[in-house]
Amino acid sequence: MPAFEPVLTRNVGKPEALTLKGYRQLGGYEALAKALKMEPDAIIEEVKKSGLRGRGGAGFSAGLKWSFIPKGKDKPKYLVCNADESEPGTFKDRLLMEYDPHQLIEGCAICCYAVHATTCYIYIRGEYTKAAAILERALKEAYEGGILGDSVMGSGFKLNMWVHRGAGAYICGEETGMLESLEGKRGQPRVKPPFPAVVGAFGSPTVINNVETLCNVPHIIERGADWFKAIGTDERNTGPKLYAISGHVERPGTYEYPIGVTFRELLEGCGGMYKGGNLKAFIPGGASAPILPAEHIDIKMDFDTVAKAGSMLGSAAVMVMDDKTCMVGSVARLAKFFNHESCGQCTPCREGTNWMELVLKRLEHGEGSEADKTLLLSVCNHIGGNSLCALGDAAIGPVKSLVERYPDEIDQHVREKRCPFPRRRYFS
Amino acid sequence: MPKVTINDRTVEVEAGTTLVDAALKVGVQIPHYCYHPRLSVVGQCRMCLVKIEGMPKLQAGCSTTVVKDGMVVRTDVPEVEEAQKGMMEFFLINHPLDCPICDQAGECGLQDYSFKHGVAYSRFRYEDKRTYPGRERIPLGANVILNMNRCIQCTRCVRFTQEIAKTGELGFFNRGARTEIGTFPGKELSNPLATCVVDICPVGALTSTRFRFAERVWYLDKRPSVCTGCEVGCNITMEHRRGDIKRYKPRYNPDVNDYWMCDYGRATFERYKQIPRMQAVRVKASAAGVAGNGNYIAAGWKEALDAVHRQLTMADGPVAFLGSPYLTTEEAWLFSQLADAVGSPHRSVPVDIGPERTIPNLKGGITGREAAPNRRGAELAGLTPGTGGDLDADELILGDGAARCSVLVVCDSDFSATAYAPETVEKLRRAKTLIVFGWADSPLAKVADIALPLAHHAEKDGTFVNVEWRLQKVERAFPAPGQVRPGVDVLAELLSRFDAHWAKVTIPAAFDRMAAALPAMAGLNWESLPATGAPLNVPQARPATSATSAEAANQEAGIG
Repeated sequence: MPAFEPVLTRNVGKPEALTLKGYRQLGGYEALAKALKMEPDAIIEEVKKSGLRGRGGAGFSAGLKWSFIPKGKDKPKYLVCNADESEPGTFKDRLLMEYDPHQLIEGCAICCYAVHATTCYIYIRGEYTKAAAILERALKEAYEGGILGDSVMGSGFKLNMWVHRGAGAYICGEETGMLESLEGKRGQPRVKPPFPAVVGAFGSPTVINNVETLCNVPHIIERGADWFKAIGTDERNTGPKLYAISGHVERPGTYEYPIGVTFRELLEGCGGMYKGGNLKAFIPGGASAPILPAEHIDIKMDFDTVAKAGSMLGSAAVMVMDDKTCMVGSVARLAKFFNHESCGQCTPCREGTNWMELVLKRLEHGEGSEADKTLLLSVCNHIGGNSLCALGDAAIGPVKSLVERYPDEIDQHVREKRCPFPRRRYFS
Repeated sequence: MPKVTINDRTVEVEAGTTLVDAALKVGVQIPHYCYHPRLSVVGQCRMCLVKIEGMPKLQAGCSTTVVKDGMVVRTDVPEVEEAQKGMMEFFLINHPLDCPICDQAGECGLQDYSFKHGVAYSRFRYEDKRTYPGRERIPLGANVILNMNRCIQCTRCVRFTQEIAKTGELGFFNRGARTEIGTFPGKELSNPLATCVVDICPVGALTSTRFRFAERVWYLDKRPSVCTGCEVGCNITMEHRRGDIKRYKPRYNPDVNDYWMCDYGRATFERYKQIPRMQAVRVKASAAGVAGNGNYIAAGWKEALDAVHRQLTMADGPVAFLGSPYLTTEEAWLFSQLADAVGSPHRSVPVDIGPERTIPNLKGGITGREAAPNRRGAELAGLTPGTGGDLDADELILGDGAARCSVLVVCDSDFSATAYAPETVEKLRRAKTLIVFGWADSPLAKVADIALPLAHHAEKDGTFVNVEWRLQKVERAFPAPGQVRPGVDVLAELLSRFDAHWAKVTIPAAFDRMAAALPAMAGLNWESLPATGAPLNVPQARPATSATSAEAANQEAGIG
């Protein structure tokens, strides 16, 4: 593969990108200027053609999502940028917002223009105080510089953009939960349909996109869909991708690669395993992705290949575990997270995540039995597909993969009546 | 209208009908907890999951609506049954299973669906149940008590306070498995409809302070009736055990009270227990025309009615008839016929203005202002409410009309709150002869020359006409005690002393005669009175809107 030149992270490490002037010197807002001369539908078409898939986790075609927005003028339209990055292991959007806020603003503005939205909310995770402050400052500059406001770059297109800080709930990263929270209600998902494209924020058509997705947009407009499509594995997996690597590696962090880089390359890129340990397993896409064992080390990290291997790319938060890691303990910790973050609205998720955590903790403490494997699977099946939103399905991902891929490890816990691995703190 | 096929049975429903409702039309029950026809759809209990052909996952029957032809739904396939089993297990793992001491037992959604869809054993054997220490008996307001341990977080109560009562005292707090229901700080569940949350709570989490521990529900006998709290006439189910009324529950009637009723109405049966009962006829010697002056004579119904007849026919001055808005329409009509037989123009009913209450329904609500459940029925029957005539209710109660009466007939003794005021008793007693009918042994009955015990509204059949001129039937829940007889029996026997064609007129017969005589009731007969009442043909009445069209209008407006 030829040397890859960073796209999304090209301004990272350049402090001048934080200011409007500096960002423009680096070539910023050219794409917006170009977009404003295009027909809105042509922009949607271009994004569709680029094959850009949502970077938030579901991998839904961004251009297609935009095209679902009804054309009528009877209701205002909204863009909500999902910056509520709260999946354990995911820290890619933070980088984009903290180091290149104008890139996001530009992407949002292009999207708003394309779908005729005049208001954009950036719903940012409450804990991201620094990123929120940087975005606020960048927005202020953008208003003063004529980028936002009554006439975007003098085109007459009116656009207002707000930063809305969340209050720290994982469920508000779910798109309808986010809309409820944005409207000032309790953050819990809505029944779908109707989908946000028809009835979204304040009852109006709404586009919801992840930060990284929107950051890709200016580059697509500037350099064309064909350039974008040339990056990546195939027609369905295109463009640059940020990978947030954590766990037992030498240099954890966010790395940009063309989508479809192999896991081995990722690992090498961050200095290999921590203290030269052996790879036992990795989670390719954040807490909700099923665990993949070490034999998948050469897997291509794109949406379809990872899905074929029985996991998901999700938000591309890669968690690496060495062979001293207890899988039962790790999954129990993940189950604790999902139990803590379940909104409590629907039965399977509310009761099921709680039950799973209790069973897994019992197993980890050596008080389980072999029957617990069947029990866990059965609980997973009762949650999977039956919950109101995707959190239920997310919660069973790691648990199911534990029972299916590491049954021996569970048995060992049962047999030895204790955790056979070196003591690590899975629970705080 | 689109067609939908549910378990091989096809039905045509209005577009936008939920699958739960559509299934009911073909006799398929889709189990559900959080869904309620009048509340917003939240799809969160996940009990109503069904299989829809062409959909990869099971869908919630409450949030899926029929929009176009060709939807094929199944509720009897293994995957649906498995999901239902799973949900039941989830509901029960943290439920205390304290049915033996729970008021809801016997009418509990968890019990019913466990029996039908659940499994008989538990796999939750090693863990501790989630509990809410200190939240087992929290009074949310004066009438409702919360036991959080039993709650299944369906949020019906929360949505009720937000969407129906529009007071929003209740909220959903915390999250995940620790989610709980509660009042917002500084608020209490004190809206006039508060106890409705007990009715819609599918489990024993919310119980009524009044009914709590009063009776096991399977011992209750239930009869359809109408609340007598005000002129709205909420349809109720009267629930009693051996003549001891335990509670009123609202009975669904989309044209009147929908699914709701007010807390005041629910408490009205207490008067039948608090106020002493008239048990036997009492006739003073002077009234019967025998020696002994003010002493009571030994008398049965025959002697008593003879005495009343004697007083009415021998009266040497005006005879006034003071009715009551608590009489059934038949009683009021016979009372008015009695006045006719005597030839007296003085007939009226007193009306108390009570607190204004609005019961929400699909037409926006029905408002009662008068504590007079049947003053419209009495009016149709010929008893003028308030003023009108000479010796009318106002003149008798407020003025000095009674002193001018030769005979004053009061039916019934519990005609209004003023009946218990000493000055009213004193004023009415100024009549030369005072005859009192009624169930209550009120101070007025105690001073009457002739007092005749009648059945109260739980003990007799009859009809009431509500504020919107809707004729509604009440049914006898239990027999009257001792010598007590229904008013129609007594009045008909009394009338037969004037005219033999009144002999042995029963309540249905009295109604049919009345319906034939009154243009407003033309075409009605007792046997075919609908359970939800019949709108009367009265010029003053508001144009009756049928519930279905109102419902459709609501759906169009996005309310339904």
